[in-house]
Amino acid sequence: MTKSQKRRFPFITFTLLFIGSIIWIYPYFWLLFSSFKPTSEIYTRFWPTKFTIEHYKFIFLMSDKLQRPFLRALLNSIFISVTITFSVIVSSAFFGFILSKVRFKGKKGVFNFILFQMLFPGFMFIVPLFVLIKTLGLLNTYSAIILPSIISAWGSFMFAQTFKSIPDDYIEAAKIDGANTFWIVTRVMFPLARSTASIVGLFTFIGAWDNFMWPLIVMKDYNKMPLSVLLASFNHEYSSYVGPILAGSVIQTIPMVLIFLIFRKYFLQGISVSLK
Amino acid sequence: MSSKLRKRENYLGWGFSSIYLIYTAIFWGYPFVWLVILSFSKWNFFGTPRPVGLKNFIRLFSDPIFWRIFLNTVNFMVYFIPMVLILSILFALALYRVNIFRTFFALSFLVANVSSGVAYSILFSNLFSESGPINSLLYKNFGFTIPWFSDPQLALLSIAIMVTWKFVGYYGLILFAGLNAIPKSLYEAAELDGATNWQKFWKITFPLINPALTTVLVFAVNLTFGIFTEPYMITGGGPMRRTLTFMMHIYTTAFQRMDPSYAASLAVITGLLSYGCVLLVRFLVEREVSLV
Repeated sequence: MTKSQKRRFPFITFTLLFIGSIIWIYPYFWLLFSSFKPTSEIYTRFWPTKFTIEHYKFIFLMSDKLQRPFLRALLNSIFISVTITFSVIVSSAFFGFILSKVRFKGKKGVFNFILFQMLFPGFMFIVPLFVLIKTLGLLNTYSAIILPSIISAWGSFMFAQTFKSIPDDYIEAAKIDGANTFWIVTRVMFPLARSTASIVGLFTFIGAWDNFMWPLIVMKDYNKMPLSVLLASFNHEYSSYVGPILAGSVIQTIPMVLIFLIFRKYFLQGISVSLK
Repeated sequence: MSSKLRKRENYLGWGFSSIYLIYTAIFWGYPFVWLVILSFSKWNFFGTPRPVGLKNFIRLFSDPIFWRIFLNTVNFMVYFIPMVLILSILFALALYRVNIFRTFFALSFLVANVSSGVAYSILFSNLFSESGPINSLLYKNFGFTIPWFSDPQLALLSIAIMVTWKFVGYYGLILFAGLNAIPKSLYEAAELDGATNWQKFWKITFPLINPALTTVLVFAVNLTFGIFTEPYMITGGGPMRRTLTFMMHIYTTAFQRMDPSYAASLAVITGLLSYGCVLLVRFLVEREVSLV
């Protein structure tokens, strides 16, 4: 490219994009700032006269007395999301391996069935799934939230697609060394599909952490509620406690943002973008 | 030896597949069957469902609330889809032109996408509230306020704005990936022929990002039919049922009015509608793209 063809630096575009980014992150900063402001200044000042942690103290120490145990809910959310994510990654890796590298009669049928399953949006099953959970006597238990999500058609599909592109030689070599299937999947295949594992894990974790409608339906016990539902019910019944509600929203948001920032490379890969 | 090996693989394959299939039979197949049974029956969570044929569907299509929700959904798409599409195309184009701070820009738009549904509903209901920061800013400078969530017509637009905020980064990056896949040589050839930027966009860029554009549109349509958290948290479906969505109606019908069979037929129709909408989008937008 000669010098005359080289484009000038696009100042206008850059400025607009910069202003856009500020507008886009502004709500987050407003939320974060407001959760540290004294109640009287939440709506009136962007930069408060003083910062306070009274709202967080309230959330963690006082909310138990209002039957809304936030700390407990945070731990519930972590427990539920981590369990779901872990089991989806592990089960998807095994199913993906079977569907891509093991030859057996009817494999194509199983694979097509998984694709067929992904056609149906999850919301169609909410009511009958509730009937199932009720029949199994699982209402108001952690299992009601965890069990329907521990195996994922999408995750198995993602792993199968990745494993297909890995040469069979790796498996043959491991077999000659006497490795069994468990060893091959966990020690040979899985490390080669780390980015797929991150994508599946990331999207599963965010989905589980953010899930609201399903836990709202099956969980009425305040002690076992995930944070999303507890926060919603607190917002509903104690809407005058603006400060603590905003502090709760910050706590609900932070894990997702942190995980997003840590795994951003894989998130972008999931959208198939490289910014280099 | 070979046949023994094949037998072993057969066992292995079916061993794992049967775990998957049994799990799916319980948590997908069983609900699937129940969905079909319920949508053709009358049931209130107790006793056995009584078959009523097509009665649920007849009731549904003569229900003014159903048509209200249908109009709401169309109305939402009319607000949301052009808004999110134009903004994400602009975002993708701008990101494509600017080659410094790219990661910063991408992340600051994308971080909105990982906001939790409940938290961002609370955030926006405060930001847009009667005495909230945006209204007080407007009042101080221009002397008026906007009833974001209390005006029947505005409420749906406000929700569309929130959802747009959440998804511009995500959709924009899908389009950006599409832009990156266009060979640079095409632009150079067009420049040699003296094409203007406007011509380059409409003759090269726009036709060639068609696959990415279709993906974004399909995502946006699917999202529209699944909206629940925002109206549940902020407006409760009001004012005047203008923000009532299919998901909210399914939820309240099944779990507050205790009419799961009617909710099941509603879910079936919603599923069919969203599927039909996706097919329509594909038919209208999707074009075969080939570089010769």
